[in-house]
Amino acid sequence: MSGAEWQLVGFSLRMALASLLLILPIGLALAWWLARKDWRGKALVETLVSLPLVLPPVVTGLVLLQLFGRRGPVGSWLHNTFNCDVVFTWRAVVIALAAMSLPLFVRAARTAFEEVDVKFEQLARTLGAGEWRVCFTITLPLAKRGVLAGTLLAFARALGEFGATIMVAGNIPGRTTTLPVAIYQAVENGEDTHAWTLAGVSAVIAFAAVFISEKLQRWRK
Amino acid sequence: MKHFFTVVFGSATLLFTAQNEIPAAQVTVFAAASLTDSLKQIAAEYEKKSGDQIAFNFAASGTLARQIEAGASADIFFAADETKADALEKKGLLVSGTRKSLLGNALVIVTAIDTPAIHSPAELTNAAVQHIALGELKTVPCGTYAKAYLEKLQLWPVVENKVVPCESVRAVLAAVESGNVDAGFVYKTDAAVSKKVKVAYEVPAVDAPKISYPLALLKDAPQPNAAKKFIVYLDSEPATAVFKQFGFIVLASAPAK
Amino acid sequence: MAQVKDAILTANFRKQFPGGPEIVADDLRIGGGITVLFGTSGSGKTTFLRCLAGLERPETGTIFFGQENWFDAGKNYFRAPRKRGVGFVPQDYALFPHLTVAGNVSYGLNEMPAAKRAVCVTETLHWLGLEGLENRLPRELSGGQQQRVALARAVVRRPQLLLLDEPLAALDTPTRQRLRGKIQQLLRQLGIPTILVTHDRFEALALGDRMVVVADGHNQQSGPVTEVFNRPDNLAVAHIAGTETVLPARVLKVADDIVTVAVGDVKLVAMATDFPPEATEAHVCIRAEDVMLVADALPTASARNRFSATVVAVERDGPLLRVELDCGFPLKALLTPQAAAEMKLQPRAAVGVLIKAPHIHLIPR
Repeated sequence: MSGAEWQLVGFSLRMALASLLLILPIGLALAWWLARKDWRGKALVETLVSLPLVLPPVVTGLVLLQLFGRRGPVGSWLHNTFNCDVVFTWRAVVIALAAMSLPLFVRAARTAFEEVDVKFEQLARTLGAGEWRVCFTITLPLAKRGVLAGTLLAFARALGEFGATIMVAGNIPGRTTTLPVAIYQAVENGEDTHAWTLAGVSAVIAFAAVFISEKLQRWRK
Repeated sequence: MKHFFTVVFGSATLLFTAQNEIPAAQVTVFAAASLTDSLKQIAAEYEKKSGDQIAFNFAASGTLARQIEAGASADIFFAADETKADALEKKGLLVSGTRKSLLGNALVIVTAIDTPAIHSPAELTNAAVQHIALGELKTVPCGTYAKAYLEKLQLWPVVENKVVPCESVRAVLAAVESGNVDAGFVYKTDAAVSKKVKVAYEVPAVDAPKISYPLALLKDAPQPNAAKKFIVYLDSEPATAVFKQFGFIVLASAPAK
Repeated sequence: MAQVKDAILTANFRKQFPGGPEIVADDLRIGGGITVLFGTSGSGKTTFLRCLAGLERPETGTIFFGQENWFDAGKNYFRAPRKRGVGFVPQDYALFPHLTVAGNVSYGLNEMPAAKRAVCVTETLHWLGLEGLENRLPRELSGGQQQRVALARAVVRRPQLLLLDEPLAALDTPTRQRLRGKIQQLLRQLGIPTILVTHDRFEALALGDRMVVVADGHNQQSGPVTEVFNRPDNLAVAHIAGTETVLPARVLKVADDIVTVAVGDVKLVAMATDFPPEATEAHVCIRAEDVMLVADALPTASARNRFSATVVAVERDGPLLRVELDCGFPLKALLTPQAAAEMKLQPRAAVGVLIKAPHIHLIPR
């Protein structure tokens, strides 16, 4: 593997990790709400969160493009206020990865939270703990393994994300080209060896992540 | 339970092996993206006159070449770049003697209608210009042409970091239209079709690299006779009139190298 | 119902579980000291406790603790558990499995500066005899130790109300008996108003000052523990309080505080203040431990009720023996094994029965 190829892998890993920074807080909050609370529009929220799992990734990419493009609601605000562009930059990569992997994480984390016996949370409340403290000192630690498994799954999914990424971040070598996009481009260019090398790396990382995730999920029992 | 599986498996097999209905003579043309509007109009008129059907696959010339190499079924290859046709010819995928360079084009820099104008290529180096859309260098001829031009002007090293590669010249156009890039390189003929961009600068013919559109019959064409007829039509007066109308340069009819 | 003077907690509420029982607190008043919520399993006593702790929200009603309003359905007001200052110990202790003993006990002291917290924790652990266990995890502790850690965790915060749900139920009998005394000592030392749920009579007698009987989800009689046991207001309470012999009787004569009734052919003399003179029938309640047996002929004795009986069966009841007698009506007595041995009690043996008048409790019909 050449230096450029290693750089590519490094870039993809960094982007996937950065997307976790978005996924974890939002995903944990969502998972906790879905696991512990009941409210009128709950089914709608559940559906929305699961949508990126089922929609064609390019559709998600399209939605993101509309939102974050320079003329879109969020994109125009960012551009005018901070002179900050999202589309065609690494920021778009992170957002696309986060959007596509969030549902996987939320599912795993929600199950993990649901398996924490409510009685511990209730008792913590009688001891003076507010909701934040209950979540961080009781629910999360007891749901640790499931949440970790979900994180690994989300990480693996982010590494493999293609459709939404290419729509909203494009394919700019060194700046937004991720592993899957590079593989696609290599095939387009007829660079078969390059494509297979990258595919191999992709497969190894994905295998490791899913394997450990499965082990963790089984360990919970 | 047994019957359930038989039905499912049987249906899947049927669906998988079903052929689409192929009408009498359908000619498949793989053509460069920049030819989209002009070819569609020409084909509509031709279909009325000849009774044959024309099916198109518009994409970057490099993408099309790759698909043909991989065995995609097509009759005619109409690229925006001679090197793409050379590659196929080397692999023996073109029918010798049928290749001709039909059209030329001009390179332009476009910006979105509502963005401030750029008056010269040198302005591309300004800080205000953050993203420049170019066709993907390895697959889109327009991108290669643009890079060659910028290298000639010695602007490429500065401008290289701002480049956003796009998968076809139409993708470049769309990127500029959306406002997500500040400028882009397309053909003059593409700029003409879009109402949302304006031409900021037309590269003079003397400075531009030689843009040439080769056209050829493919060796494994399913409908070689109907295809030959269409190729002849493309070089004839009704078709060339349409090309000129869209802004293409019609090269003198001469067999290519 | 005997009213509590200076009630600390008053509750009136209804809690309905969907598709399940309804729990009704009807003018429930609880004072200082240790109050036992007594009832059989499934009677709803745990739900009462959880409603008071704020872990369940009733549909209607109010709960007041002193001047604090903890719950008012009418104003849609519900005070969260963490603002009620209660110490709650559930039946299965619910010790946080991922925290050590020290971690569990110090959990409620988050607001305290670290140094002071450590001192409090150490003191409380010492007081409950848990020194040396600070770094153990709950799963490494015995049942008795877990129970004391749960207690420590609840009391270290100096709550204003302590709620204990069947504190000894999860323990084996020897441990239970051993801890019963210890807990009584601890609770008295603490001096915190306590509500203790149990179905065990001995626990109620040992630990409680006052008692509230819960039956079918409703609070019934309340009063000092021995009074409720000895003078049940109605049959439901009598059954729950575990009066062994409850029989229908005809009222023969009511003269001042002495009431004479007949159960079958046998006349019984009872002491009953405020017995309604117009009542013609009553239920007779006799506790097994109040029945005295004599081996030979009936002596002259101060007990007003003296008659013969035949032994029907002898069974062990924990450390004691339960004797079923036939006196013309079924009667149960509780004896020590030594006494039974001395008297050579066996089925079909003839004995004499002595019962003092105050031990015959009447429930007018």
